[in-house]
Amino acid sequence: MEIEKLTALEIREGIIRGDFSCEELVKKLYKRIKVVDKDINAYLTLCEEKALEDARKVDEKVKNKKILGKLAGVPIAIKDNICTDEIKTTCASKMLEDFIPPYNASVIKKLKEEDAIIIGKTNMDEFSMGGSTENSAFKITKNPHDLERVPGGSSGGSAAAVASGIAVLSLGSDTGGSIRQPAAFCGVIGLKPTYGLVSRFGLVSFASSLDQIGPITKSVKDCALCLDVVAGYDPKDNTSSKSQETISYLEGIDAGVRGMKIVLPEELLSQDINVEIKNAIEESAKKFKELGAEVEYIPLSVFNRGLSSYYIISSAEASSNLGRYDGIRYGYRTKEFKDVYELMVKSRSEAFGEEVKRRIMFGTLVLSSNYYDDYYKKALKFRGNLSREFKKIFEGYDLILSPVTLDFPSKIGEKKSNSLEMNFGDVYTSNVNLAGLPAISIPCGKSTNGLPIGIQIIGDHFSERKILRAAEAFLGGAKV
Amino acid sequence: MKITIDEIKKISSCAKLIFKEDELEKMTRDFEKILNNFDTNDSLNLEDINLDNFDRVNSEFRKDEIEVFKDKKKLFRNTKSMREENIEVPKLIE
Amino acid sequence: MKYETIVGLEIHAELKTKTKIFCSCSTKFGSRPNENTCPVCLGLPGTLPVVNEEVINLAVKAGIALKCKINQISKMDRKNYFYPDLPKAYQISQFNLPICKDGYIEINSKEKIKKVRLNRIHIEEDAGKLIHSENEAYSLIDYNRAGIPLIEIVTEPDLRSAEEAVAFLKALKEILEYCDISDCKMEEGSLRCDVNISLREKGSSKLNTKVEIKNLNSFKELQRAIEQEEERQRKLYALGEGHKIIQETRRFDSSKGETVSMRTKEDINDYRYFKEPDLLPILIRNEIIEKAKESIPELPNEKRERFKNIYKLNEKEIEIIVGDRSLAKYYEELVNKGVNAKIASNWLLSDISRLMNENKLTIDKFPVRPDRMSKLLKFVESGKINNSAAKEVLEEMVNKLSDENPEEIIKKRGLIQENSVEKIKPIVEKVLKENEKVVEEYKNGKKQVKGFLVGMIIKATEKKANPRVINEILDEILM
Repeated sequence: MEIEKLTALEIREGIIRGDFSCEELVKKLYKRIKVVDKDINAYLTLCEEKALEDARKVDEKVKNKKILGKLAGVPIAIKDNICTDEIKTTCASKMLEDFIPPYNASVIKKLKEEDAIIIGKTNMDEFSMGGSTENSAFKITKNPHDLERVPGGSSGGSAAAVASGIAVLSLGSDTGGSIRQPAAFCGVIGLKPTYGLVSRFGLVSFASSLDQIGPITKSVKDCALCLDVVAGYDPKDNTSSKSQETISYLEGIDAGVRGMKIVLPEELLSQDINVEIKNAIEESAKKFKELGAEVEYIPLSVFNRGLSSYYIISSAEASSNLGRYDGIRYGYRTKEFKDVYELMVKSRSEAFGEEVKRRIMFGTLVLSSNYYDDYYKKALKFRGNLSREFKKIFEGYDLILSPVTLDFPSKIGEKKSNSLEMNFGDVYTSNVNLAGLPAISIPCGKSTNGLPIGIQIIGDHFSERKILRAAEAFLGGAKV
Repeated sequence: MKITIDEIKKISSCAKLIFKEDELEKMTRDFEKILNNFDTNDSLNLEDINLDNFDRVNSEFRKDEIEVFKDKKKLFRNTKSMREENIEVPKLIE
Repeated sequence: MKYETIVGLEIHAELKTKTKIFCSCSTKFGSRPNENTCPVCLGLPGTLPVVNEEVINLAVKAGIALKCKINQISKMDRKNYFYPDLPKAYQISQFNLPICKDGYIEINSKEKIKKVRLNRIHIEEDAGKLIHSENEAYSLIDYNRAGIPLIEIVTEPDLRSAEEAVAFLKALKEILEYCDISDCKMEEGSLRCDVNISLREKGSSKLNTKVEIKNLNSFKELQRAIEQEEERQRKLYALGEGHKIIQETRRFDSSKGETVSMRTKEDINDYRYFKEPDLLPILIRNEIIEKAKESIPELPNEKRERFKNIYKLNEKEIEIIVGDRSLAKYYEELVNKGVNAKIASNWLLSDISRLMNENKLTIDKFPVRPDRMSKLLKFVESGKINNSAAKEVLEEMVNKLSDENPEEIIKKRGLIQENSVEKIKPIVEKVLKENEKVVEEYKNGKKQVKGFLVGMIIKATEKKANPRVINEILDEILM
């Protein structure tokens, strides 16, 4: 069996049929990881012993003809900002370098209940702040399609692991594009669910009103399967949505896009965007037309602005969420301190990376009394207005297509010295988070030098079904 | 919009972070840039957005029933300094 | 220059819930350090708060009892600051949309009823506890208290003296205890009071710089702190040094007997309040409000009025009985079972209280319940037994933990009062014959010796004779 080619659905079926045992599969995977990850650096922590133990349990279940979970035997990589009981969870930060959570995130619990096998924790930008995974305190992850380029971020490790066949499926988190952008850069599928669809309990918070956990996969059906498992109301997360779906996301996924009304931003045509990416998007629009959808270019001002608001809101929340890291109860503690204040200040200053400190400062600034009204409050109003605008669009249309990024992944180390000056194109992904909408990134082409290009499909709140249908139709059921 | 370096110094004290002088200077300039960008983007009329109008509210709350996290050793495993059952820190003068 | 004192209070009361406000840890007082903690109240990475329904219920109840308007939509906010006892580096509280607003409490001030207005009531979480040891170089943190639910009650600056402040706090404590909203034990910290005080020239409508006083652990300290601070400020104004009064936080040093400037926790008190993104805004349905209304018992003031009018008790009696809700309940059960109001009150305040104190019992733990007690007291009322016999019976029921009915004990001990004149008269005559000298003294004007004779007669009847009948017979004979 070529582990790197199998999807989750295929693995589950294979195990049930007896084509291979779970233990075999997992052993093979770790063998592959030891070779491949030397180059990719996707993983920060591997849990081989535990994974094999869990694999053996699955095999027992098969032997005893017990009912197997939806993800039975599927090796899954977890972004290192999702808490795993007894397994180090670092958020790629020196601050949590030796932090071992005493509990599982709710999504982890759900995965385990469905017999998934947790393979390891993946690299990321520190505390999810960044777009290249270069902000990790520990490793640089490489893009499997070009080892000199970044895999994107902040879920770079998760995307690279799936893309290089050293995880079948992975979980990432997305606050302003952190699942979709690396998925696009690595040529895999990445879904950011509707805000509230997936529980955040156990996800180390960056920006509480924007964060969502989502799947990164090789096939759209795997994405739907994973969503079946991780989605749903969690009483431990007050922001998780009660509007429950009891029908599988796989139901009707092959129904196609005939009759769907799809729009693209007219602004795309004159935008400062890499021409290869632009062409790929335009070709994709044509493909949707061929598949039977009604496709139009309309002015979509929702993508004209919003990056500053995203920055203000996410930094503000982050500055508050990261206050708890002070060396007192857990986490990095500075060696020498004469009093409690020094303990706190030095621990924080020594253990947080540049980007994290910058965002904490910016967030603190915009929440401070002299700036609150003109910046934070205004950004909130902007957000309210943006949501209203999106709502209007979805009254008349089913889906929005857009680029994921305006350019290809940068070369490692080439990162702009001032990363606060974000790529304007990030507004395509971050405005989706501001409005709490679901969106998927799927591969839609390649550049002349083999770099993947991603296209984003955005839907109205809780329209994951529509999005998955469209994605499946576009890819023709193929795996990437 | 002009931010002074003194303001940034106050902010760093608020955020319990220390920086070198040149880092603070750079931050001051960077933040100014972002805020100015935000100001110029501001051609929208946002008067009618009422932030106290909530689209999601909650009227069902958690039942008042005790649950014990039994494994206290595990709970405090990541704490660097425990003295018996308390967390120890350098003496605070209040 | 006459100055008047302007006082406003900020009171924190711990709510009587089983679990903390945002997690399911126990709120039990006196547990071992860090026994009642979990990843949520410790603020471990990835954890999220979930609101306890009983906190909402009690906060609404408090609002109704204190005549507030309930904001059916309210929200939680983060108050950001760094301190070792604050696990998340922010306190989840309520800033501009609290659960209750307005409201008032009536107090007695200078023989009149004064309405003290409330500005708001909001819910929030408590922080952990820091313990500083005297001789050591470390401090210890116990997070049992982190996450304990509090209501913060803020008054308008309507109070004008230390006495009024104390009266207000007592009245508030009474209402919260009556409604089972809080234990209100200042010694245990479940009721905390901060004071905001300023002085202004009488007749002025402007408010001058106010000073905050914290760390008051009893009503006495509250009174003294206000009086001391009043003095301090008055002196400064008198000397023309009013500008030296700065907006600051002072604490009351009980050993020095004066207020002392505190080193502020946060030099920049910019709490950067913003809406708590991990909690949805709170909608309080009408059913919650209705349920809270129904669960509110008769409030102390109303009860006092009723006791005065129906039972005709005096102020002192009312203060003691109504001051303790359980005592009031016990009292009313006695009366409802047919005991005379005055007799019930007398016994409750004398012998029953004495036995409670001797045995260190609260009325709820008093072994003689209203059922048996009322039977006993009705026997006294009807003359079946006399007072001292009743005391004997009561003592047996309490000290010997006898669960027998009063009749059984009376029978056992032969305590039935003798009321018949035919039976008593011979004994009276006998005692008088044995004490002819004393009788002579009485007839000669020494009226007080009658008591001696009565005592001798009672003894001769083995305490069974009805003292009233004895007196009547004596009066007749000695006439």
